[in-house]
Amino acid sequence: MAAMNELVTLHTQALRGDVVPAYLERLIKGMRRARLNNTYPDRRRIQGSLETMKLAMDAGLYEQLYVDARAGLPNMASFTRVLTDHELAAGSLSRMDDTAHYEQRRDEAEVYARLLDKRRYFEAIVDKPYAPLDEHRVQLRRHDPETGTAEFRLDLTKLDATGIYVRITIELTQVSSMWRRRVIDLDADGESAAANEAFHATVYRNASYDAEHLFIHMHDIEGVSVDRVQRGVIGPVMFALPAADEPGGLVVQAEPERGNARLAHAWRRWLETNSPSEPELVMSFQSDIAARDVREEKSNDPLEDLLSASIQDSERARYAHTREQFPFRVFKDRKFVVTAGTEPLVKAICQAAGTKNLIYKLR
Amino acid sequence: MATKSMSDVLARDVAYSGEGISVRSLEESIHQERTVQDSKVSELKGLRERNVEIQTAMTEELQKLRKFSDYIDGTATKQGFWAGFKEVLSYIPGLKSIAISQRSIEELLKQQYQVSARRVKEAAEYCDILKQSEQELYTEINRINGKIVEAAQNEKVALDYVLELRTMQEELEAELQALEAGSVEARKIETDMDKIRALLAQHSSNVQLYGAAEERYANLKDNTRKLAETIRNLGQDIQQYTTAASIKLDMASAQIQAIGRAADASVVMLEMKKSLDVMTESMNVTTQFVSDTQIFFRQNLDKLVEELETFDEGTSQLLDENLQASKEIEERRIQSAIDKAIKARAEGEIGGDGDAAPAS
Repeated sequence: MAAMNELVTLHTQALRGDVVPAYLERLIKGMRRARLNNTYPDRRRIQGSLETMKLAMDAGLYEQLYVDARAGLPNMASFTRVLTDHELAAGSLSRMDDTAHYEQRRDEAEVYARLLDKRRYFEAIVDKPYAPLDEHRVQLRRHDPETGTAEFRLDLTKLDATGIYVRITIELTQVSSMWRRRVIDLDADGESAAANEAFHATVYRNASYDAEHLFIHMHDIEGVSVDRVQRGVIGPVMFALPAADEPGGLVVQAEPERGNARLAHAWRRWLETNSPSEPELVMSFQSDIAARDVREEKSNDPLEDLLSASIQDSERARYAHTREQFPFRVFKDRKFVVTAGTEPLVKAICQAAGTKNLIYKLR
Repeated sequence: MATKSMSDVLARDVAYSGEGISVRSLEESIHQERTVQDSKVSELKGLRERNVEIQTAMTEELQKLRKFSDYIDGTATKQGFWAGFKEVLSYIPGLKSIAISQRSIEELLKQQYQVSARRVKEAAEYCDILKQSEQELYTEINRINGKIVEAAQNEKVALDYVLELRTMQEELEAELQALEAGSVEARKIETDMDKIRALLAQHSSNVQLYGAAEERYANLKDNTRKLAETIRNLGQDIQQYTTAASIKLDMASAQIQAIGRAADASVVMLEMKKSLDVMTESMNVTTQFVSDTQIFFRQNLDKLVEELETFDEGTSQLLDENLQASKEIEERRIQSAIDKAIKARAEGEIGGDGDAAPAS
């Protein structure tokens, strides 16, 4: 069982056996329980992908589930499996025999039982929502041709390289008379928009940074005035899964400190003093806003301070000068979904940080 | 010979298993079995066509990956790295004529990974189709085996009965020699001999038909087994190739995620090249498989179809010959009856006591 706690390749663990449904079931419930609004990646689609992973594993289509050892979430290979299964489902179903055919022959040979499972799997997923690896949209909010001003909302959902799912929403105004050729292009009738490649790439590349960083970076682009940057993050997740076939054996993520050092430290200490007999989870959901209309600059995130609080003294003056140029404030928050065993841990983390956070308990 | 014993033999309901046999029913049955083979061969032909599509797409993607990798390596460009890189990006759909700084390398790698994963999965889909076909063919072989055993048993039943009739016929012939020609006893024996002759014609035909059926089903079984083995070998090859490609892709996925946003910084170009190389290797393995499969299809499928068609021709020819032989027997029998009728008319014996027409 210790093998599941080791890396099979870079930042990757392979989960097998009974721990897989236990892990996925709790993630799915946790997603539902977290009450995610549209700051976060689309909950229904990520939940759909997790449910599809569970269906695939139940049907025995894959031998293992790959999990990101840092973020504690299924990794890119696992999310891509869901995507490619969706891409191939309709074609495969059209080539397969009907369910009755496989049901009649399931005891004749292993291949019929397997194809029956596969057919049922494809039928089950065909209309299910699923999460994209990346999705990028631009919406035009307001357009004034007379002044050459246009307001846009840029929306990027990304399975980040760090293993977490991120959604970034940027509201900005283009004031340059050259805006049609600049950051965002409007079509001829002025009703739809698309970010140009360079701007899209800038947002994409900086998706791992916080809202404050993004605000400054975007605002620095000529002809653009940023009004609001909002980030919603799913993950990291800490998990401890008792292994049914090994008394006392526990499957945990291998590199939690690479996800969030503060949470990982508390988690490691919790594991030292607890021997979970049930699967235990801590799921975290960070929101991070840098906007003109934020009243008070504050972090209610027990795991991440504001940049202003953590900056080195030698850089403080330069930072203050930079901030003076930009009319925004930052608000960070984080909510948690916990299991019964991890609730005290998360409460203690919040208490120590002096933050008041929403903590949803998995029933 | 005891009268009771003779009447028992003549009135016996000879028990053949199955649905009975005729030239037409044998032909129909063989045709039915061949339909299964044909459908499997059609599936293989369908796979061949799909194989061509996948091979074309994969060859293009592999070319892109190789160029991508070579340019990152800095070995394939005369105008320097960035010029080469821009050229490479123009190979990727939707990225024509844009500068390197305008796209995220991480995003490109993820997109390419998704395409590669889909291709490998498409190839792996063959496995299930082939395994099902193989299983269906082995089920068919079992069915054919049942038919072979049934035909062999029926042939034996027919032969035993024919021999019994023949023995009886010889005994009657001997008895007839001892009787006065045209006497009542002689007429009765002649009546029984006619019945025996009719039964001999019927059951000797069955001997021939069941014998032919056994032989033809055995040939059909050999061909079905050959087809099943071909399909199994192909399925095993595919499984081997796609498993290897999937493992490599899983590694590439981890590398892409590990590189992450740093993929856009030139310092990690070496790392990025590694992930591209792994992805290229995976695609290479899959393309190699698809290419080998093409050769397989070319070499084996056409040969197999040809053999099956030859078998078809052979079967039809045998069946035709059999049909012809049956007709000749029938004609001889009818002619014999006519000869007898003509002879009887000439001698004024038509309608005479005990003159039985042969049963048909």
